[in-house]
Amino acid sequence: MTHPAAPGRRTGDDPLDDTDLSILGGIRQLFEAADPMPADLPERIHFSLALPGLEYEVARLSAQEDHRMLAARGAEQSRTVTFDSASLTIMIRIDANSDGTARLDGWLAPPQRRTIDLKITGDTLLTVTDDHGRFVFNRVPHGSAQLIVRAAPEAAGSGQAVMTPALML
Amino acid sequence: MAELTPVEHRDARPGTADEDRGSRVADLVRAARNGHQDAIGTLVTEFSPLLWQVARAAGLDTGDAEDVLQTVWLRLLTHLDDIRTPSALVGWLVITTRRESWRVRSQARRHIPAERDWLAAIPDAGMRAEDLAVTADGRRELAAALGQLSPRCQELLRIVAFVPRPDYGIVAAELGMARGSIGPTRGRCLARLRALLDGSTEGSPR
Repeated sequence: MTHPAAPGRRTGDDPLDDTDLSILGGIRQLFEAADPMPADLPERIHFSLALPGLEYEVARLSAQEDHRMLAARGAEQSRTVTFDSASLTIMIRIDANSDGTARLDGWLAPPQRRTIDLKITGDTLLTVTDDHGRFVFNRVPHGSAQLIVRAAPEAAGSGQAVMTPALML
Repeated sequence: MAELTPVEHRDARPGTADEDRGSRVADLVRAARNGHQDAIGTLVTEFSPLLWQVARAAGLDTGDAEDVLQTVWLRLLTHLDDIRTPSALVGWLVITTRRESWRVRSQARRHIPAERDWLAAIPDAGMRAEDLAVTADGRRELAAALGQLSPRCQELLRIVAFVPRPDYGIVAAELGMARGSIGPTRGRCLARLRALLDGSTEGSPR
């Protein structure tokens, strides 16, 4: 190290000095080199935050299951993802279509009629759940996608809007 | 919420770049509260590298770390009204990321990466010499000394190293590190690291 050898014993109670700041700077550089944040992550986060200024409940990813083992045995490749918010559980199953798009089947629990927005890059797809809380998007292009659960058209204002973090499809 | 308690920053001298930065972040928070997407985007760009280190230091793999960062920023949107100072913002972001990371890690039964993976990942080249506070030798020495600290000290120092200096005090205090009456103190983890570095400098003449 290039820091000067300061006289006397140093303890944790001393205020930070220049050597401490230089060591912290060195630690920062170590981790910036060894484990940098993916460069495009802020952009993807910003994508999922770019929503109109409404009150939202935030659903959190609570389970994710990959079925690649099944795919190896001949079944089509799929994965299931579960999000939980204070009022809703959102389960989705993502299957690969033969044309390279993805099919997304979803369920809301408790079952209820809601409008579902699927925000994808540069566009928003829209559907409505049935009485059992089921919904489907048949063809979703690859890329980032985010679900927003809103009030059903015939019941405007009922139920807090819920949004999920963006998923990579 | 305890983590939102404003803390006075005696180490931020008036008229310094630190203060300019503080008022800029305060402006961004205010604009974000009023729904300005650009302000939110700027905050995301500025603080995500810190939160990435917080999530990775908590032992998450890269995919989980990305999910946690998304969740934390989404939650911030619903908490903006509670954030009163720039330091409170940084404190809230760090603590929320850490808690969320623990939650994901404990619920997922996912494998936790070997503690010192990052040591092996340190490249020998690729950084500009003039950017380094330490030489290449010093860097290896620093990595080796860090590796001798407890996992908790490694995590704390890794996080604090990415915290903007004026916010060091609030974050260190939230993470349970020492904070003296005058300002941020070295804390035991950093004191121990310095002792190790001094020992290796004195003990191995080159």
